[in-house]
Amino acid sequence: MSDRDFAGQTAIVGIGSSDFARLYRTPDPERTGEAMATEAIAAAIADAGLEKSQIDGLITGGLAHYEPVAYRTGLTDVRFVVDYPQAGRMCAMALMHAATAVHHGLADYVVLFNSVAFRTQGTKFGAQPQGLLYDTIYGMASPGAQYSMGFTRYQAEYGGTEEQLGAIPVAIRSHARMTPGAIMQQEMTIDDYLDARYIAEPLRLFDYCLVNDGAVAYVVTTAERARDLAHPPVLIAGTAGRANFREWYVDLGFWDEACGSMKADLFDPLGVTTDDIDCLQVYDNFSVSVLWGLEGFGFAPKGQGLEWVQDGRIALGGELPVNTSGGMLSESYLQGWNQHAEAVRQLRGQAGERQIPDCDWSLYWCLSALPGASLLCRDGVL
Amino acid sequence: MSGEAGYAKPLPAVTHEDREFWAAAREHRFVLPQCQACGHVWFPPYASCPSCLSFDRGWTEATGRGTVWGFTIMRQPYIGSFEPELPYNVVLVELEEGPMVYSNLIGIDNADIACGLPVEAVFEDATDEITLIKFRPV
Repeated sequence: MSDRDFAGQTAIVGIGSSDFARLYRTPDPERTGEAMATEAIAAAIADAGLEKSQIDGLITGGLAHYEPVAYRTGLTDVRFVVDYPQAGRMCAMALMHAATAVHHGLADYVVLFNSVAFRTQGTKFGAQPQGLLYDTIYGMASPGAQYSMGFTRYQAEYGGTEEQLGAIPVAIRSHARMTPGAIMQQEMTIDDYLDARYIAEPLRLFDYCLVNDGAVAYVVTTAERARDLAHPPVLIAGTAGRANFREWYVDLGFWDEACGSMKADLFDPLGVTTDDIDCLQVYDNFSVSVLWGLEGFGFAPKGQGLEWVQDGRIALGGELPVNTSGGMLSESYLQGWNQHAEAVRQLRGQAGERQIPDCDWSLYWCLSALPGASLLCRDGVL
Repeated sequence: MSGEAGYAKPLPAVTHEDREFWAAAREHRFVLPQCQACGHVWFPPYASCPSCLSFDRGWTEATGRGTVWGFTIMRQPYIGSFEPELPYNVVLVELEEGPMVYSNLIGIDNADIACGLPVEAVFEDATDEITLIKFRPV
């Protein structure tokens, strides 16, 4: 939304996350989508310093839907309910919906969550039904193969090596190792990355996000109410979406047009530029998504993103840290929701040894069939 | 080429929208839906024209020529019936008429596949009912 008057009028005031590493080590079939959502909701409400009775809006997502969750959480008398399909691309859309709802008084405090059990369910992302373009009959399987196909095209247009691409998962892994609850804690060097098996060549195992269980919830309210709550408010400066439905999935321009549109919606009304952004907490379903977003949003020059990410530039301590809790490649595949939780910690100044000094602005994007983005900031910088 | 006995790989789920497309493929013809109202050509064969929303759909013969937009080499057995062929290629072909189609390239080593490669359609009878459209370098 390109609305200067709406910017900073709403805030994320509470966050709650599962212990992803524990759930990964010990898959527990009794930890259902509803159970994990309930735990995350309870944690988010407590983190905000609210009473459950104050919650009057519910946005559900992932595996757990509104009635089963309402019964288990006692959130049975609310004024605003939305149920999103299970899809990472809905992350920014759900935040957009929550912010508009509280801004317009449809609810005072909205709790929203995503809850997934990909690991205990044995989800196989390659075993999808026939795609619209008959891809399965030709052996095309898995979203990763789609991004791999995009990367061969990218290399043909701009050059760059697989080793250069490895800098992205290597940097993000280094952040997971500093994050309690992150699933992938072992060190990963560029040689470890290159030694791993190909999945859909030229993409390797560590270009792919994790497949795990867990939930993340947050509470959204107005900035005015937020200033009376437990933590420094994290303001929603803007959210943006740009549908880019293509039957073949990867946009032929690597989502440049979608990124440009969302950047204009988020940045232009505020006079924000890429130089203002202190960290990126973005949808790293595959390493190449990070690359294409860096170029699409104008952080890296077009076609030079692979060179741009070298030498620690996107690691903590570098010019523009990316996915400082380990993202979906190494912390948890919570589909953008864990990235937002980390953005909140960074903007509150509560990220511990990962804390970015003077962190004022954090940007999120998701490049998929339905690209979405959000811009969060510290109170007082708008 | 005649149909393989006991073809084990996935086959298209033919519907009212694409029955004519697959019937043409069985005759080794590559046809694309074309709007009789505005002339737009599209793929896959939805029943209505995505440009002007007319349901007055006809068919046009495709040249079968195109270029490789991108490719991937599948290295893991996501689909069990494809396991014996690992590693195999999947390509996204940009047809001369505009639409994009997934397929496999035959008659070329995987290591020689490149974006921009000119290709043409070939027909492979999979079963008595279904003929797959694949591509080979021109």
